[in-house]
Amino acid sequence: MSKPAIAEQRWEPGGSLGRTESICPRCKRVLEAELLEQDGRVVLSRTCPNHGHFAAVVYGNAARYRELHRFDKPGAAPLERQTAVVGGCPHDCGICPEHAQHACLGIIEVNTACNLDCPICFADSGTGPRGHGFSLSLAQVESMLDAFVAAEGEPEAVQLSGGEPSIHPEILEMLGAAKARGIPLVMLNTNGIRLARDRRFAPALAQIGVHVYLQFDGFEAATQDAIRGTDVTAEKLRALDRCAEAGVTVSLAAAVERGINEHEVGAILAFGVEHAAVTGVFFQPVTHSGRFRLDADPLYKLTNPDVIDAICAQLPDWFRADDFVPVPCCSPTCRSATFALYDGQDLLPLPRLVDVEHYLDYVSNRAVPDPAVREALEGLWSAKAAGGSAPVAERLECVACATGMPPELRDVAARGFMVVVQDFQDPYTLDVGKLRKCCVAEIVPDGRLIPFCAYNSVGYREQIRAQQAIGNGAP
Amino acid sequence: MSTLPAAGLDPLPSLADLGDDAGRKRCCASVYEHPAVRWLLGDELHPGGEATTRRALELAGIGPGDRLLDVACGHGASALLAARELGCRVVGLEYGARAVQDATAAARTAGLDAGVSFRRGDAEALPFESDIFDAVLCECSLCTFPDKARAARELRRVLRPGGRLALSDVVVEHSELIAELRGPLAVLACVGAALPRSGYEHLLADAGLSVLAVESRNEDAAVLARRVHDRLRGARLLGVELMAGAPLATADAIELVARAREAIRAGALGYAIFIAGG
Repeated sequence: MSKPAIAEQRWEPGGSLGRTESICPRCKRVLEAELLEQDGRVVLSRTCPNHGHFAAVVYGNAARYRELHRFDKPGAAPLERQTAVVGGCPHDCGICPEHAQHACLGIIEVNTACNLDCPICFADSGTGPRGHGFSLSLAQVESMLDAFVAAEGEPEAVQLSGGEPSIHPEILEMLGAAKARGIPLVMLNTNGIRLARDRRFAPALAQIGVHVYLQFDGFEAATQDAIRGTDVTAEKLRALDRCAEAGVTVSLAAAVERGINEHEVGAILAFGVEHAAVTGVFFQPVTHSGRFRLDADPLYKLTNPDVIDAICAQLPDWFRADDFVPVPCCSPTCRSATFALYDGQDLLPLPRLVDVEHYLDYVSNRAVPDPAVREALEGLWSAKAAGGSAPVAERLECVACATGMPPELRDVAARGFMVVVQDFQDPYTLDVGKLRKCCVAEIVPDGRLIPFCAYNSVGYREQIRAQQAIGNGAP
Repeated sequence: MSTLPAAGLDPLPSLADLGDDAGRKRCCASVYEHPAVRWLLGDELHPGGEATTRRALELAGIGPGDRLLDVACGHGASALLAARELGCRVVGLEYGARAVQDATAAARTAGLDAGVSFRRGDAEALPFESDIFDAVLCECSLCTFPDKARAARELRRVLRPGGRLALSDVVVEHSELIAELRGPLAVLACVGAALPRSGYEHLLADAGLSVLAVESRNEDAAVLARRVHDRLRGARLLGVELMAGAPLATADAIELVARAREAIRAGALGYAIFIAGG
């Protein structure tokens, strides 16, 4: 879709798809909002008495949006809640009693400093003064991990992020502390610079058993420039080869932006399935929060169905739109995923062999499908899953076995390559109804678990940064 | 979802068996009662699955208490559906002994064995008296019968005056089909000996049946061919021969289905429901 000049756009609301609440992107006050169909897309519309009307595309395909409620699994509560209801959602986060879902994935940002200055950074991190903020101590991270374990019981996935967590002097100890708490999937969210430059780093990660979540946005210099501010492709490739040598598994995480790198999604996937270290690819439409500096219009934001359609258009022999099944735990608009079988030539998404939609449909089924298969699929279609992890392999084997695949198929199926498309909300797209079911939590130093999209959109990130900067005596 | 057994499958007939009519029937029956084929096609073994069966029964006006014959009933999925959802009294006829056993067991498991029974038999020589069924269902199988005219006369014979035939089958325009889709294996795959729409209409008219309605179901054919193509690719990808000793290796089957999908896209191949009155 070519983008008309802002002045030429006309706001023409279509049919209503329901009411919800949102916030004013400027003053963050909670506003009544409406979901409307416009030009076949779903638009979130609301008006702030002080700052005027705001509208943003939240789902690029209204027809598919209407089908999504089937995949909306009833929420499951955490063991503990950390905050009380005072101001109302989304101003009581941490998790408050109104939240409908426990956290499948916990994120800990260990620092704000970085060795890159990406123009799109939602965490507003960077080198020099931009990175001034905080650098958590090992003791702090340990207590945050303990808070996560207390809330979840046996959490399956945690990700250490930043800033750039790999430059934190105690990062290996922090990753080890997560492993020591029995969390099977411990991820390091990194730009790969240290992996490329420090030969000892990948072997150290391998020893701890860390899965790398590597920012990887494409191959073209123009893409790198726009998203990362410098061409780091050569270093990314070196980082990947170091991971392969050391036996570290990697998920590629691509930030995708309209008009910048949506044409590269097929190439990223085709590269990923071939690379020995890579066990999955996560595509994330760019979040327009933090230090987002590109020319972005919320009415032309890229969303999950746009990314899925781009994948299918670029790899038509491998993928169809219905291979991507919504993740039922969070709001089904947030995340769609598939697992792919690949033999070096042909690639086949798992839903072609197993009717995943049937098992993850919570509305249309007359009879509850085989509960063991449903449970295994819920664990696979989840924010706690990453390709190549032990729990994922076990669940894939369970599904392969229970749905009739002969034993020799199961082993190969268990190597399933994971492809995820996940859209995070920003101050323009924030739907408070969706937020209540968010299952990705920012674990913060005071022990709160703040839903990720609230953290980035409502002001919590700024609050924590200020709090920690004072605590550290940093500028 | 059907289950693929890991081992212990009966050997399949060889290609040479397709040479005469009796061999063709035997081969066809043993292929369609094979668990791997059930996994590929789905339990209903025909395009559109249950939805198309319901539609055919609905178009034929089949209802509670009707005495229904399901000819070439496979594992009995449609016969059981007609009993369960419409309250029909159903007899399922099937050439394959193993399929008859499976269907009988399925009826018992579903608690439907009082109203549904299954027996072995040949569609070209139905083991029933004349004029005894209110309705006859025949799904995706007339296309494989060696003597279609004789089979059509038999369907007519057992149907009472005023009864209804619900036939659904692969529809093909032979002139547009490539040679690969007209060989003996394609016959087995319901393509090679299928008729054009007018061919079925003439066949039924010649048997003394009047065609009351025809409904095109080409999308069903496209969806099933895609499913089979995907599942065969899955087997190849995982290095498994689905049917040990099959006349067709997985890799060749993939090519055959790929050609069939092209023919469906080109409009040379499709599926349709025919409703006729006795």
